[in-house]
Amino acid sequence: MNCQKFESIVGELARGRIIGADIRQDALVHTGDCPRCALRFRNEDMLTRALQMLALETESAQAPNRIEGHLLQAFREQKLLQPVYLVNGRLRYWVSAAAAVLLIVASVIAIRWRTERPVAQPATFAVGHTEGRVPEKLPVAIDRLRGPTDNVVKYLPTSRKPGRRSESFVAKARSTETQKKANGVAANNVTGEIATEFMPLGYLNAANLQDGGQMVRVALPRSAMASFGLPVNMDRYNETVKADVLLGVDGVAHAIRFVQ
Amino acid sequence: MKAKSDFSDSELLRSMLAGDEEALALLYRRRQAGVFRFALQMCGSPAVAEDITQEVFMFLMRQGRAFDPTRGSVNAFLMGVARNYVLRRLYGEQFLIPLADDFEEDSVLEHSDADHGPLENLMRAETIETVRRAVLSLPERYREVVVLCELQDMSYVEAAEILGCAIGTIRSRLHRARALLVEKLKTEGEENTNAATVKSARCFA
Repeated sequence: MNCQKFESIVGELARGRIIGADIRQDALVHTGDCPRCALRFRNEDMLTRALQMLALETESAQAPNRIEGHLLQAFREQKLLQPVYLVNGRLRYWVSAAAAVLLIVASVIAIRWRTERPVAQPATFAVGHTEGRVPEKLPVAIDRLRGPTDNVVKYLPTSRKPGRRSESFVAKARSTETQKKANGVAANNVTGEIATEFMPLGYLNAANLQDGGQMVRVALPRSAMASFGLPVNMDRYNETVKADVLLGVDGVAHAIRFVQ
Repeated sequence: MKAKSDFSDSELLRSMLAGDEEALALLYRRRQAGVFRFALQMCGSPAVAEDITQEVFMFLMRQGRAFDPTRGSVNAFLMGVARNYVLRRLYGEQFLIPLADDFEEDSVLEHSDADHGPLENLMRAETIETVRRAVLSLPERYREVVVLCELQDMSYVEAAEILGCAIGTIRSRLHRARALLVEKLKTEGEENTNAATVKSARCFA
């Protein structure tokens, strides 16, 4: 037997574990030949005896009786809740599953509601705005709409008065329907207003509108329409035109549409 | 019909989970010593070992259904839970773990007085304390193997079941742990010798 082989079995040898008789004999013979391995064996043997002493020392150690009392008391208290514990596994599974489904449904509803809200808001805001209430002089340059809320002019309080809608605008809308569609203009049949498509002011990310926003009715000089490539009647160049500005929750104007 | 004391651990556990208090008491009395000793030898503190023993059986009461007989015995399950609690303590509350304890000293004296003479008792107590310190100073992965295989006299198979590793791993860890222990004990012995030499020199000076 060489030293390497001896090293691999010295622990078992010292611990008196079952190893082959011939291997054991070889190992003991090797300790007679090799002083280093003999010392190694002596150390292992001493360690084994020391560990046995320690094991013997703690052999009788056990937890104090009061712990058993505590456990039994806790067990009795738990038994009072046994109906819950008995069905613990299955009930917990089904409750978790139901909760997960409810959470998903609630999330879907919430997401839909939030995404639909910006669509619903224009109707709310646009419906009640009356031409009579639009201040005559609100000369706001379109560039100013690109800034934060304080730059974005005035908010007109809504009051639903469909009877006061402008007949002339409705008549115009009926007569030039095909032309309007070509220009991307939409008619609101409820209020009789005609509105262009929303045009983005700067960079418009749809995600910015996911958190909601606010529609503000403003009055602008007609010259502002030219900035968006819309035709302007030069005879009415100095008049004002109504517009809906879509503000994000951060107060920044995101889009604008012109209304007649 | 056999008496409850003849029930196997699995049967007792089943009865306990069905609400049988006596089954819990029997199972506790049967297995608490092993759990307590393991925790004590791993942590070195009887107070911590008591806490861990209680937590292990509380866990068994609450989560006993998690026991899977195909994966091992109830004892291995309990020791595995105890090991988790011990490791949590060792990592989280190291400052609460003393190296020596009054409880241990008392028990050493009790045990040694009965069997040996005073000088032998003293040397024996010293040896035990030295080995205890050396075991407690081992890294956890070596310490738990020494505790299970050497101090609790478990087989490699049982230790592997508790620690959730291969038998070869247990064997190699134990080999390494013993080598570390020999080194530590040798170092400590040399330190003691040096200290004695210094004292002698002062006396003669």
